[in-house]
Amino acid sequence: MKRLVRFHKAFLPAAIVSAALVLFSVFGLATKGFNLGVDFQAGVNEYVQLAYPVGTMRYAGGSTARLSIGDTTLSVVFTGDDAQSRTARWNLATVGTIADLAAALRAEGVEFAVRDGAGLAAALLVPTYQGDFVLSAAAVPVHRRARDANEVFGSVEEIRAAVGSVGSVAVQDVGGRESMQYVIRVGDDGSDPAFGSTVPAAIDRALEAAFGAGRVVTMRTDFVGARFSKDLANNSWKLFLMTLAVIMIYASVRFKVQYAAGAVLAIVHDVAIMIGFMVWTRMEFNTTSIAAILTILGYSINDTIVIFDRIREDHKLNPTDSMTTIIDKSITETLGRTIITTATTLLAVFALYFFTSGSIKDFALALVVGMVSGTYSTIFIASGFVGLWDSVAAKRRAKAEGQVGAATAR
Amino acid sequence: MNKTKRFLIVLAVLAVAFAFLFPSIQWYYLTPKEEQSLALGSREAIRDYAWRMARVDLADLESKVKAGDESPLGDRYDDFVAAAKKAYKELRMDAPAAWSAKAALAAYDNRTDALTELESLYRQRILKLKNLHGSAVQLGLDLSGGMSIVIRADLEALAERAGRDLSPAERDDAVVRAVEILNGRIDRFGLTEPVIRRQGEDRIYVEIPGAADPERINGIIMGRGRLAFHIVDEEATARLRDYLAVNPDGIDEQFRVADPTIVPAGFVARRFYRKDAYGLDEWTGAYMVITAEPGLDGNHIESATVGSDAITGQPEVLFSLDAKGGEMFYQLTSANVNKTMAVVLDDRVRTGARISGPIQASVRITGFGAEEANNLALILRSAALPVELLVESQQAIGSSLGEDAIRQGVNAVAIALIAVFAFMLLYYKGAGVNASLAQVLNLYLMLSILSAFNLTLTLPAIAGFVLTLGMSVDANVIIFERIKEELREGKGRKAAVEAGFGKAFWAIMDSNITTIIAALFLAQLGTGPIQGFAVSLAIGNMSSLFTSLFVSRLLFDFNTDMFKRNTMSISWRVK
Repeated sequence: MKRLVRFHKAFLPAAIVSAALVLFSVFGLATKGFNLGVDFQAGVNEYVQLAYPVGTMRYAGGSTARLSIGDTTLSVVFTGDDAQSRTARWNLATVGTIADLAAALRAEGVEFAVRDGAGLAAALLVPTYQGDFVLSAAAVPVHRRARDANEVFGSVEEIRAAVGSVGSVAVQDVGGRESMQYVIRVGDDGSDPAFGSTVPAAIDRALEAAFGAGRVVTMRTDFVGARFSKDLANNSWKLFLMTLAVIMIYASVRFKVQYAAGAVLAIVHDVAIMIGFMVWTRMEFNTTSIAAILTILGYSINDTIVIFDRIREDHKLNPTDSMTTIIDKSITETLGRTIITTATTLLAVFALYFFTSGSIKDFALALVVGMVSGTYSTIFIASGFVGLWDSVAAKRRAKAEGQVGAATAR
Repeated sequence: MNKTKRFLIVLAVLAVAFAFLFPSIQWYYLTPKEEQSLALGSREAIRDYAWRMARVDLADLESKVKAGDESPLGDRYDDFVAAAKKAYKELRMDAPAAWSAKAALAAYDNRTDALTELESLYRQRILKLKNLHGSAVQLGLDLSGGMSIVIRADLEALAERAGRDLSPAERDDAVVRAVEILNGRIDRFGLTEPVIRRQGEDRIYVEIPGAADPERINGIIMGRGRLAFHIVDEEATARLRDYLAVNPDGIDEQFRVADPTIVPAGFVARRFYRKDAYGLDEWTGAYMVITAEPGLDGNHIESATVGSDAITGQPEVLFSLDAKGGEMFYQLTSANVNKTMAVVLDDRVRTGARISGPIQASVRITGFGAEEANNLALILRSAALPVELLVESQQAIGSSLGEDAIRQGVNAVAIALIAVFAFMLLYYKGAGVNASLAQVLNLYLMLSILSAFNLTLTLPAIAGFVLTLGMSVDANVIIFERIKEELREGKGRKAAVEAGFGKAFWAIMDSNITTIIAALFLAQLGTGPIQGFAVSLAIGNMSSLFTSLFVSRLLFDFNTDMFKRNTMSISWRVK
């Protein structure tokens, strides 16, 4: 028999710590609010890359040629009748200079007129962010990144000054000044129905006026209308509350009401902690964040039910033992499982954290916080609540029995 | 249940899973990129491709016949030769020794038949690939690149213009018209086939994979759809048809004909469209030569309805024009009696009707089926009651960013898998092999379910999978810990396994069912990333139930009975 760890002694301090943390989260939410992502904030997010124009590509052959420049490869897919369909592909790291690439393209029938930077490495070419280009007799412009630090131009301040005329603008750089990539966010107050199309065009014009024609490449444009973002926010809340209700019902049927309430309390606690983490670290709150919260919801409930199952079993086996003993016993027995499962899941989450970027990285970080909180809340909040319920119920019973006893004595 | 039976069930599940997964493997690994590119194109682009290729091939075959070339046809004509063989068989003719151009063409009565055959062969081949893509795992926009747009039909503005509240049927009709116009316009992109879906009452969801240029998309969404009536030049139409039969490349994308003598000045060539079985615009393969300037602009239309002829009962489209339009239409029709008038929407000829005599304000067009009549009335109404489209949200992801995302996702899955394996093997020794095998199966089942239900793989969904990999180990851990407890109490291998699985069963069921309920619930109600994530979580949980409770158990039992193992390799401490 393993030594019994007396978890119940920590229930009260844990409740105090948790209450403090939750209050801290609510305080943060009330005072600072979410750092809302574009999904929840009406407006335009335009990602731009400042770059040097290199030249233009044309294709006059009879088939359709689709150009796609990626981070490492450049490919042209030919489909059509006058030549057999084929795919031409070059590795940008090994093809050599831009002039070498132009020669290779010419052999395939694609005219790459290089006006600038012919001697530079082809790996400097800017990817075709806006999707594949269909090459035709009309020229398609091709850009390159800065060769070295001396060529870097533009800064957050310069961009802010350039697009200041468009509206209330926030500018952020993506991956440092050397990458020359920026996000420009313009809020939408809902007064202009065509906001989604006029503003990106206005941004482009303003940037080209400031940095020179052809020196701005739009990577992507996201737009969310005022009505749309409001609907999304409302739906998310409703979904969360309804999910809680569904879990509550299932857990009440399978276990008892106090277990269901304990499980839901633990979930609410975990979500509050995660929201607090997102608020205080100013992590962007978007639909991926909602997915993270929902995951923890699933994880936490899973964790809680496993321990509840053990409590139920131990209770059946030793009906005379006090609830606190049973809870301590059950948690001790499942402790090995709790630690191992948390460890393996954390391994997976850390894989996500270290091998992805952007919103998924944030997602993984939020999950780490949520999982730690989920494991903790299962032991100290959910089980603690069941213990508390039981002791309150026992006291009431004793009181009621005492009254009955008093009544008969009289 | 005995072991053989259980083993057969596992094998059957694996086989079914493979059958579901196969289209994905075929599409992503065995189809060349250029074929993919063709198959991803719009139906119109495919039609166009087949049309051109058939004419090129036929010209090639005919030149071979003319040159007296008796050598067998190359690989390129394999399909055509197979079709010719079949035709020979049906005609009860003896197959020739060598399939030369002449022998293959001899299977057909005339040029047109051969051309139709060639065209349908090309078309079928690409459409088959398109279907294959349809049954493979779909990549979400965040992985494939592209853009999604939510458009709202501005019904308030429409009601304002109409000067009254719209009835539910009218509101519905307006949104249907908007979808119709979008369908027609977006199709012309031809790069990749867009997804156009109605969402809720007044929203339309448009997804264009592969393209992320908002400029191009704004060009489609803005504007109301231009409807006009043009007079057709029948002679020039016939001339163009004959010319294109021999010169399939004689017309470019702007419908300019290489030979300037065919289309007279003041006239232009346009494609003639019909609705296909899916209600999408389909080019019929024919061109019409129409006046460059419209005879009458569609904004003179006041209303359009479908009725039926009082005597013949045939469906007919009735529309009325305003006073000025009626005057213009009268002049137009009286000057062109017995000519054909084309109804053109956004440069596409939708229908042609013969002018039987001068017409003024109220027009009746007959001579088609009920469905076609409904379509025409819808088109005419879209000119009478234009619906303004507003962009509600627009998200674009460049395809190169998508490729990065896939690479990162795959890496994360691989690393997570390896890390979890290593951990399980180190901690649980022999039993860890069971858990690892169950994990591999789990991943395999998840992918096949994704493929079977045609679900979309997005980055949040990949994240969901990575997470399930971690979480589904949980079921194994619960079981193993239980088995260890039983072993500690001195039970033998077989008894410990039995008791371990038995006692762990409800803990695993309850915890997974709660998660699945929550996930399915979210998958039903959520949208976008939430949905993708919830679906993958639900799938992962279900398949982990199967692998942990069923497969892992089978592995233990096999080891016990087949190899007569009595000891357990499950921990460093408990033997």
